[in-house]
Amino acid sequence: MTRDEVIAVIKKNILDNLEDLEESSIDPEKSMKDLGANSLDIIEVVSCSMRELNLKIPRTELADVKTIGQLADKFMEQIGK
Amino acid sequence: MSDALKYSLADFFYNDSKNVLDPPSDFEEWMSDPSVRVGFSFYEQKLLAAPRSSTEILSNVDGKKRRVINLMSYNYLGLSTHPEVIEAAIEGLRKYGLGASGAPLLSGTYDLHVEFARQLAAFKGKEDCILYSSGLGGNVGAIQGILRKGDVFIMDEKCHKSLVDGCTLSGAKMLFFNHNNMQNLDDLLAKNKGKRILVAVEGVYSMDGDLVKLPEVVEVCERYPNTAIYIDEAHSTLMFGKNGKGVAEHFNLEDKVGISFGTLSKSFGGVGGFICSNAPIIRYLKGYSSPFHFSCAPSPVVIAGLIKALEVATRDSSLRDKLWENTKYFKERLDGMHLDLGGTESQVIPIIIGASGEMLYSMAASMQTRGLFLQPVDFPAVPAEARRFRISMSAQLTKAEMDEALNIIEDVVARGMREAGLLKT
Ligand SMILES: Cc1ncc(COP(=O)(O)O)c(C=O)c1O
Repeated sequence: MTRDEVIAVIKKNILDNLEDLEESSIDPEKSMKDLGANSLDIIEVVSCSMRELNLKIPRTELADVKTIGQLADKFMEQIGK
Repeated sequence: MSDALKYSLADFFYNDSKNVLDPPSDFEEWMSDPSVRVGFSFYEQKLLAAPRSSTEILSNVDGKKRRVINLMSYNYLGLSTHPEVIEAAIEGLRKYGLGASGAPLLSGTYDLHVEFARQLAAFKGKEDCILYSSGLGGNVGAIQGILRKGDVFIMDEKCHKSLVDGCTLSGAKMLFFNHNNMQNLDDLLAKNKGKRILVAVEGVYSMDGDLVKLPEVVEVCERYPNTAIYIDEAHSTLMFGKNGKGVAEHFNLEDKVGISFGTLSKSFGGVGGFICSNAPIIRYLKGYSSPFHFSCAPSPVVIAGLIKALEVATRDSSLRDKLWENTKYFKERLDGMHLDLGGTESQVIPIIIGASGEMLYSMAASMQTRGLFLQPVDFPAVPAEARRFRISMSAQLTKAEMDEALNIIEDVVARGMREAGLLKT
């Protein structure tokens, strides 16, 4: 699985969970908060994406993740294992 | 499970098991890991006596009964065990029986409830008050009862889960601003300008013990029409302000607060919650707030005790003066040990030890064996890099109890952190 494919999964879950967003406005350099997500939305997006990718990463290890791209990188690390 | 300690309750919320009666399969595996069991063994330890500053517990650490100095209970002013409060509750029990036996609207409202609600409204300087059987129910019920789909609820990110749950039920849009960050609050208000907005803050934040920057919150909110302020004074009522009314009084801004919430389970020493506001919105709430409408009224025994508790706490300032004297004494000595107390400004004092869960639990066990009841607070209740102990000061603590508690904290926490190279000095 490529990083772009992982980002596509995250984007899909962002669109499913947040209102009034265009796919084109989701820039991987942005944070979900920038897109208007609250902390519950973020948990939802992260959990749904991990389920879809069949990953389990402890929440404690995601604390320093700021942007959508960084989240994809964390997922890629785990996929590579 | 290999790295079991890296996981927490935050990781098992979703459940893919086929049957709803089965928890997630990896949750079972995780819970049976020996290191995780050690952590969980601290929870639900049994108290065998009243929540006084010295009490007795049945320890899960070694299965023994033990006398402990109690830095955990929310009995901040000692009212739960005050002799006059106990007498009043006994009298209430004799006269009214154990329970209210009815929801407030039909048959659960007693003369005691009406009298106590009137006293609380007067105390908070508001027109009216509604009582709930729990603090959580009060927050859930107020938010769910007042907000509607299309409204916007903006809260400090450190606000209590009951406010989150109330908002989820209401269907209003839920937004969080960074803790005490006014620029962030202003941005959210600007983005939602024109809508009906409620902004929620806490007088004292419960995990950190710091205060809301209320003057700034008021100033920012006043720039936006139809923006009301909700303050949760769970950890500040009866303690802050010249007359003990809370943090809003402390800042002399009571009239700027639209809705004031308090719990009856902490400084009051009982159980229950209350909302004070203008009379029309309280009347409206009584029609739409489920935890009020569809739940039995608070026990008259507890209300009888609480009426006395309010009287004892407000007839002079002696209890809160004692609490602040104890807090000052304790905090100065903790500071002297160079411990990280976060930004505490209240009787809630965190000792932040850092990212190590192992260290947190081993220190908690050592302190308990030495006779100090001070529980670990772990992720996700607090950030993973700021695991902590959280002290509740009490007016009941004697100097001897405080000195012994400080000795144990010095020997276990300060020394442990020094040896791990985690202390500033
Ligand atoms: C800030 C805050 N609000 C509300 C509550 C709920 O109060 P209660 O425990 O009385 O239900 C608590 C305590 O748990 C709290 O800390």
